[in-house]
Amino acid sequence: MALELVVLIKVVPDGKEVFVDPVNFTLNRSMATNVLNPADENALEAALRIKDEHDARITVMTMAPPFAEPFLLECMSRGADQAVLISDRAVAGSDTYPTSLTVAAAIKHLGKVDIVFAGEKTSDSSTGHVGPGVAEFLEAELASYSRSCRYEDGFVTAERVLEEGVEVVKIPTPAVVTVITDSNIPRRATLRKKLNAQKKGIIVWSLQDIGLPSDWVGLRSSPTVVKKMLPFPAIERKGKVIGLDMMDDFVKELVDTGIIRQGGN
Amino acid sequence: MSEFDAIVVGGGPAGTSAAMRLAASKLNVLLVEKADPPGSKNVSGGVLWGNSLAGVMPDWEKTAPLERYVKSKGIGFLTKDSSIDISFRSTRFNETKTGYTVLRTKLDQFLNKKAKDAGATVVTGVTVDRLAFEGKKVIGVEQDGDVITSDAVILAEGANPRVAIDSGIRSPLKDEDVAIGVKEVIKLPEKTINDRFNLREKEGFAGEYVLGFLDGGVEAGGFLYTNKDSISLGVVISMKHLRENNKTYSYDIVEQFKNHPSIAPLLEDGKVDEYSAHMVQEGGLASIPKLYGNGYMIAGDAAGFSFSNGLILQGMNYAIASGIAAADTIVEAKTGSGISEQSFSKYEEKLMNSFVLKDMHTFKGIGDITWGNLIHQQMPGILEKVMLGLFMEDGEPKRHMNQIVKEALKSSGLKSSKLLLEGYRMYRRM
Repeated sequence: MALELVVLIKVVPDGKEVFVDPVNFTLNRSMATNVLNPADENALEAALRIKDEHDARITVMTMAPPFAEPFLLECMSRGADQAVLISDRAVAGSDTYPTSLTVAAAIKHLGKVDIVFAGEKTSDSSTGHVGPGVAEFLEAELASYSRSCRYEDGFVTAERVLEEGVEVVKIPTPAVVTVITDSNIPRRATLRKKLNAQKKGIIVWSLQDIGLPSDWVGLRSSPTVVKKMLPFPAIERKGKVIGLDMMDDFVKELVDTGIIRQGGN
Repeated sequence: MSEFDAIVVGGGPAGTSAAMRLAASKLNVLLVEKADPPGSKNVSGGVLWGNSLAGVMPDWEKTAPLERYVKSKGIGFLTKDSSIDISFRSTRFNETKTGYTVLRTKLDQFLNKKAKDAGATVVTGVTVDRLAFEGKKVIGVEQDGDVITSDAVILAEGANPRVAIDSGIRSPLKDEDVAIGVKEVIKLPEKTINDRFNLREKEGFAGEYVLGFLDGGVEAGGFLYTNKDSISLGVVISMKHLRENNKTYSYDIVEQFKNHPSIAPLLEDGKVDEYSAHMVQEGGLASIPKLYGNGYMIAGDAAGFSFSNGLILQGMNYAIASGIAAADTIVEAKTGSGISEQSFSKYEEKLMNSFVLKDMHTFKGIGDITWGNLIHQQMPGILEKVMLGLFMEDGEPKRHMNQIVKEALKSSGLKSSKLLLEGYRMYRRM
């Protein structure tokens, strides 16, 4: 029986084109084009590498408005077998808690699942909650911040990148693996797969389809409350060119202005 | 049985026009464009001249994303300190059927959508590797090891025809076939542009310049076109000269053009919004490859269809007209004698009967003139000396014009017999 792999993706504004509104400190995304969350590209590639080695089927999944469709097709063009868009007005305003709940419900609705892949975090909100949240709701094992993973006989072996070093964990399936950004080089779409993806199209599910009550999701069911946004104080940098022959004066100036301290014996 | 009646490689003006025409004839057509979104990987000046687009879109002037129509056409000779400009504006440059400045990211996305709406399958973001052959017959395209089959293929891949070269149906480009185009899009408020160029709403300016002040004898032309709320500006540099002067950098030449005393004020307070560079087809008739074979045709820039006589640069109208001609050839072959090298020879016939190949033949020697010492090195200097002689008041007794011209010629080192000869050649070939 084929391995069932699920890859969670999110469409995010291109980080290079997002700026902070100087008045209310929220992110202004109006000028930005949409892209696939960078870490999700690596998550998809991690799943594709499992599929290269094993008999597996990959389902890409996202919870988003319909504008996410071309991104789901792009994932299919790289080798995913099908794509599910969970789209329902009721989920608007959901924070990471109802989002994880909804995605987990959709995965259950899909049937058997062996490994769920997700990016370590999204570039637009950086919480890193949804992958672990889905693991919790699915009661699955979790290997977060993984740079690579292998599958063998019902177990996932993942290399987790921690602050102190790399931890290799072996966990039984069903498992959730969150994948760190730039941990692999995503393969490119092919013309044949693009044609197939266009022909096949995506699957769209509403909350009703996955059997989730609409009052469990959305803004009202989201525990997160943003109370206040504060900017970092702007620091003005002084640009100064110092010749090599002026090093002594430069160091003295730094000491005099209190930027560095003179070491004692 | 093939998957498609036709595959069009390249979603620029040539490819989208071909795809629209094929789809309008109810053929099953696939359009493949490497850029996503379309228009984001090419570089074009760009002014769309002529009315070719009407062949696939009769109402294009109302529906296409056009910036401004060319109300004012400029030609300028720039020296280090001076500019000698000819500016032509006319009430006969109407809002219709003339030239339009365009931004290709907008235009190409529009054209690809139109092709899709017409019924073509449009795939973006993927690059075709080469043509797929069965013997000498083209049976489709190859991409990442897969063959997508088709009865006919139109290669409309633009100025860098990799697919044609890698498929062995076109020889690699030579230095003299191409120039390097470097372009910036500079944002400015619509009203500022109107004021600086003396334009009303929707009216535009298109200027070409000879840059006669570059170090090392590098030959380059400049262009400056007004969009709605930006200026497209750039240079086209002879590839040969760029290679011979390896201390010259293309971006340096753009800066020199932008900082020229008569250009800089036009750009003041503008913000660079885009920066791009690409090959420009400049080879003329000599660089045109074999245009068709059994199952394939080459259209647009990929076929070397571009026109430049120093006064005007054109490419998109040739691309559109050739794309339409290629599509019609497929439709006729399908309903007639079938697809063969013989039936595709009609493509060249069609082009010979249209401005596309007629212009290429009429102006076959133009490259020697537009890329030549006279225009780039001597002419700007001579003109400057003449103008200074005529208009600069230095308290000395005034001289006759013939004296001024004679002196200007003398200091340029150009013999008057040579000037006559070169001038005559230029006059004939332009």
